[in-house]
Amino acid sequence: MIRMNRVLVLGLLVVLVASVALTGPAVAKKKWEKIEIPELNEVKMPAFERVELDNGMIVYLAEDHKFPLVELSATIDAGSIYEPADKVGLASMTGEVMRSGGTVTTDGDALDEMIEARGMRVETWIGNTDGGAYLSVMKEDTALGMELLADILMNPAFPEDKIKLAKESQKAGISRRNDDPMTIARREAMKAVFGADHELARHTEYATIASVTRDDMLAFHADWFHPDRMYLVVIGDFDSKEMVNLIESSFAGWEKATKVLPADPEIPEFPRTVNVVNKEDLTQTTVIMGHNGIRADSPHYAGVLVGNRILGGGFATRLFNEVRSRQGLAYSVGSRSGTGFRFPGLFMAFTMTKSESSQKATQAILTEIQRMRTEEVTDEELERAKDGILNSEVFSYDTKREILNRMVMFERYGYAPDFLKKYQESVKSMTKAKVLEAAKAVWHPDRMTILAVGAYNDWDSDFSSFGPVTMVDIEIPEPALEIPDATPESLAHGKELMTLCAEDCGGVKKFKALKSLFMVNSMDATIQGMDLTFTTEKSIRYPGYSHYLLKTPFGNQTTVLAGEKGWASGTQGVQDLEGEQLQAAKDELKTDTIGIYRNLDKLKCQALVPTKVDGVPCNPVHISGIGDDYRIVFLRADNNRVFMVQQPGMSPMSGAPVTQKMYIDEYMEIEWLTTAKKLRLLYDDELFGSITVTEVKINPQLDGSLFVK
Amino acid sequence: MPRIMTLTPTLAWLLVLLPAICLGQTYLDLENQIQEFTLDNGVHFIVLENHDVPVFSFQTLIDVGSANETRGITGISHILEHMAFKGTNDIGGNNKNMERKAMAAEDEAFEAFKHARLVLVPKIEVAQVKLDRKTRGLPAERQEFFQKVSSAMHGTGAEIAVKDGQVIIAHDLGTEEEKIDNFDLNADEIELVNFFMSEIKPLEEEFAAREQDFEDAKDAAREFVVTNEFGQVVEENGGNGMNAGTGTDLTMYHYNFPSNRLELWAYLEGNRMSDPVLREFYTEKDGPVTEERRSRTDNNPMGRLLEIFQNQMFMANGYHHSTIGYMSDIQNISRADCQAYFKKHYHGGNMVVALVGDIYLEDVKKYAKKYFSDIPAGQPSMIETFEPKQLVEKRLIMTDPAQPLFAVGYHIENGMHPDWPVYEVIADVLGQGRTSRLNKSLVKEQNIAVFAQSFAGYPGDKYQTSLLAFAIPVKGKTGYDLEKAIYEEIDRIVEEGITTDELSAVKQRTRANFIRGLRSNSGMAGQLAGFQTSTGNWRNLFHQVEEIDSVTLDDVKRVAAEIFVKSNRTVAIIETEEDS
Repeated sequence: MIRMNRVLVLGLLVVLVASVALTGPAVAKKKWEKIEIPELNEVKMPAFERVELDNGMIVYLAEDHKFPLVELSATIDAGSIYEPADKVGLASMTGEVMRSGGTVTTDGDALDEMIEARGMRVETWIGNTDGGAYLSVMKEDTALGMELLADILMNPAFPEDKIKLAKESQKAGISRRNDDPMTIARREAMKAVFGADHELARHTEYATIASVTRDDMLAFHADWFHPDRMYLVVIGDFDSKEMVNLIESSFAGWEKATKVLPADPEIPEFPRTVNVVNKEDLTQTTVIMGHNGIRADSPHYAGVLVGNRILGGGFATRLFNEVRSRQGLAYSVGSRSGTGFRFPGLFMAFTMTKSESSQKATQAILTEIQRMRTEEVTDEELERAKDGILNSEVFSYDTKREILNRMVMFERYGYAPDFLKKYQESVKSMTKAKVLEAAKAVWHPDRMTILAVGAYNDWDSDFSSFGPVTMVDIEIPEPALEIPDATPESLAHGKELMTLCAEDCGGVKKFKALKSLFMVNSMDATIQGMDLTFTTEKSIRYPGYSHYLLKTPFGNQTTVLAGEKGWASGTQGVQDLEGEQLQAAKDELKTDTIGIYRNLDKLKCQALVPTKVDGVPCNPVHISGIGDDYRIVFLRADNNRVFMVQQPGMSPMSGAPVTQKMYIDEYMEIEWLTTAKKLRLLYDDELFGSITVTEVKINPQLDGSLFVK
Repeated sequence: MPRIMTLTPTLAWLLVLLPAICLGQTYLDLENQIQEFTLDNGVHFIVLENHDVPVFSFQTLIDVGSANETRGITGISHILEHMAFKGTNDIGGNNKNMERKAMAAEDEAFEAFKHARLVLVPKIEVAQVKLDRKTRGLPAERQEFFQKVSSAMHGTGAEIAVKDGQVIIAHDLGTEEEKIDNFDLNADEIELVNFFMSEIKPLEEEFAAREQDFEDAKDAAREFVVTNEFGQVVEENGGNGMNAGTGTDLTMYHYNFPSNRLELWAYLEGNRMSDPVLREFYTEKDGPVTEERRSRTDNNPMGRLLEIFQNQMFMANGYHHSTIGYMSDIQNISRADCQAYFKKHYHGGNMVVALVGDIYLEDVKKYAKKYFSDIPAGQPSMIETFEPKQLVEKRLIMTDPAQPLFAVGYHIENGMHPDWPVYEVIADVLGQGRTSRLNKSLVKEQNIAVFAQSFAGYPGDKYQTSLLAFAIPVKGKTGYDLEKAIYEEIDRIVEEGITTDELSAVKQRTRANFIRGLRSNSGMAGQLAGFQTSTGNWRNLFHQVEEIDSVTLDDVKRVAAEIFVKSNRTVAIIETEEDS
């Protein structure tokens, strides 16, 4: 049995829509002004109902029996403004996986089959400020569709496999976010205006996506998805009473929210900044300029809307006439008034123009905005703008969906239901003085932050006339390397990559047949302000003997491995290597680059997801299996040679654990062997030393005494 | 058939492109409510009365698009569409006779400038190469010095005087950087300056003069323009959603209007279709149209790829070039070219107007007769170049700074071919929606793509066209990875066909989408005008169901085997350029 707390039925109310006769000049009417314009037929407000269910859900319903369809849209108080800053992307992925992952009783793929076989549409999403859901079904599928939608909203399963898909999709989006200049401009302009960390401007990075877990999604859903946070608009071929019954039964048992809705984020005010994204491949510059605007309850609301209709919000505006039609500088140019119902909007102007007119077009726009603040608009402009707004008002009532969605918006943000009527009245009584007053109060071209994307060197100016220019770096931070569990495929692929690399550098067989090696290198390092040179002489007799002589400005140090024994000698005398130290020396011999080539069949080589190292595409291979140590070898994707080796290391200064990276910058060939010639050693991404290999001998006769204590 | 009009395709429209095959639903009784009439000049009107809200939508479709363009005038259909907003002899100008004269002068100045660009610029370039060569012959220590001299000589309005081994150059005259340089030169260098003076400078000056004449003529003509008056009249009368679009097959004009302004609408639309004035022609073409090409194609990776994809896939028919046109054609097209094109195609035989909303047939008839009768009659022009059978696989790999993409197209017959519904079924099962083969395999199972779709009719459906499959890889995968996976799905359809469940799901989706498409005035107007233009009868909108219903599993196998052949395909891949 349903109990409606409040039912409001509006019958066929008549909304009066102004039909304004054109007030053309008294003399010489133009041809079209002589055409008679009859009175506009009445706008009949469609019947609709507003029902508040016991669980707090607000439902607006309008029957429409013209087509055998039912359409439902839901708005939910859940947006990415509520997600933690280090998990940007959580809200959006939660909205996606709710639908794609299915529910605890029906998995996502089964859901897809059911929905598409019936030609239904069922979607969910979470945007910046709201969550939403949509259902469109043929009349006969109404009950099934409603049941599915309710199940999705109430009991999403968030399975790991679909979370992974959502993450892949996010990552692909991140990798592509610099492909289109307009996308770059919008994103960076929001950050420039509101601040990069602001809830309305911040965006995903590989790291924020990686940090989102299934538990986060469950929690986000549990926090914000509740019936008393939801507004439904249902339109179509149904009986309202039955529909309310169906909604009540479908959403039965859904608990009200317990968590308090946070206050909306504050909108900061900043002075102008001038920001440039330099992208050399572009022949066109995209410019966005803006600052924060006002809420619709501001006294300047109507003035700003009328003013913007004159400035740049339409086809025959000052900006369009001047920048596009007369100066021919752009295809796209315009402005947004900067008003919003929930947040103060963003007052903005934009254009896309050829590189050589970047400054000219930007200046032309700023000049037009300034003109709106310094002189009154003309009588003709004012009348046209008012006529345009009032004559098109009928389109605010042309679909039921539009009418009901507006009711929901007014209710959510606390506007009176007759807001639109009041607005119309303000427009009717608008004067030139009021437009000027609104423009002065709300629009400040000198405060508009500028963001421009293009080939900076080709522009007609460096933009410094607008203010000090900040170059914006849009390079995408690479994701942290993920080391997933190895699979037979990734192991096979890793081995294949390493084998190719070994073959390229001389051949696995030759490496295995290697009897001995002698190598000298010298490293230049700056330590505590001193430029120092270290020289290392390595003498190796495979498989189990090595002799490393390190020559430093402070004396020499020798480390020797001789089969099952080892020792180190230096200024403080000789010391045997034991336990871990001995094992480490043995492992080192098997896992330096040549060691890896010789031991490929014993090592575990796992291919990781391709990535870029300093902009160079590489195939990383994670190598483990000897000792506790691992290393990641980054093979250049274009030639399969080792580009960099990363491994855990120890700071030679502090002894603290660090990430050690060795870059091979140059190779050389010695007989059949291709080996490193120049290298760089980095600890935690700080350059420690540059190394040059000065001598390599293959299979030399080594003095046996080297390996005798 | 896809009814979506595009100037040039973008990712956005690929995403929204949904099947819109339609299905007769007699209980809707809509078909019987639709009325039509034809004026003596051939303009065909379709009217659906709907008195719910006092507004109406219309769509004017001209049966001409970029596929009608020949070499040298690519992009002209789109330019003409832009010009349709510039007004008429009544609207948008303030002095008919003076404007006509000014425009004639402007045309003459354009021809002279164009001639200068085509003839003088190459000559200047040749002479410059010679001068550069001679400069490189100077002793090394003098080269840098002479470069300075050279760049001063090229300065804006530079005045050069050679006297006693000295060259005095006044350069950047009339600008803030204006200055006079005095260089000491030797005999060899003076010879180079003399070469510049005799071989290059006169040509550069002539070119600059032609350019200036043209600019002046444009300014002169602008005096008689009331900027954007047409748009202004529509907007101040409450017009909404004003737009236009040019595709390969059609050109579309549209807006919504309060219904008490039906007569005003008829006047505005009839007037611009019969008596347009192509004012501000050169400013529009060199400004907004050129910028549109830059933003849609040159600065957009998808646009770049699809333009050369079309170039490769269609060698002979009108789909060879993109709708936006080549940059050099946009530059060189004259107003006379455009007027001739208008005359050839914008006649009654090519024009369909659909109106839906709070209007009455009798009124529409009355005003149509009054305002559309000046449009001349004519016969639709037939295009005689057919796309020959493709004999070899074509592949294009575009190395680009953008992230990887993959597309493959297979030649298919046009929208009137009896197999068209079969193509639609194949494209739907292969790549529409979450349960499509491509989405299941590439996105859900293999996790190698974030998006994979296919559809029939790219870039149009009036001529032999293509069935396109398109996919975006996940980060770390390439177009090649997707290619393999897509072929596996295609091969599976060729070998095994599709299932009964899949076929019936297509039919059910088709039915639901058809009804969804009828709900709005503007959607309805678009569909009616579209079917009338491309099939010759709007009723086909309601009679597609029999065609789709008649598609059998065997049809799918037969057609799949026919089209999914290696030699019938064109492959396009973006391979991401590596930063060096």
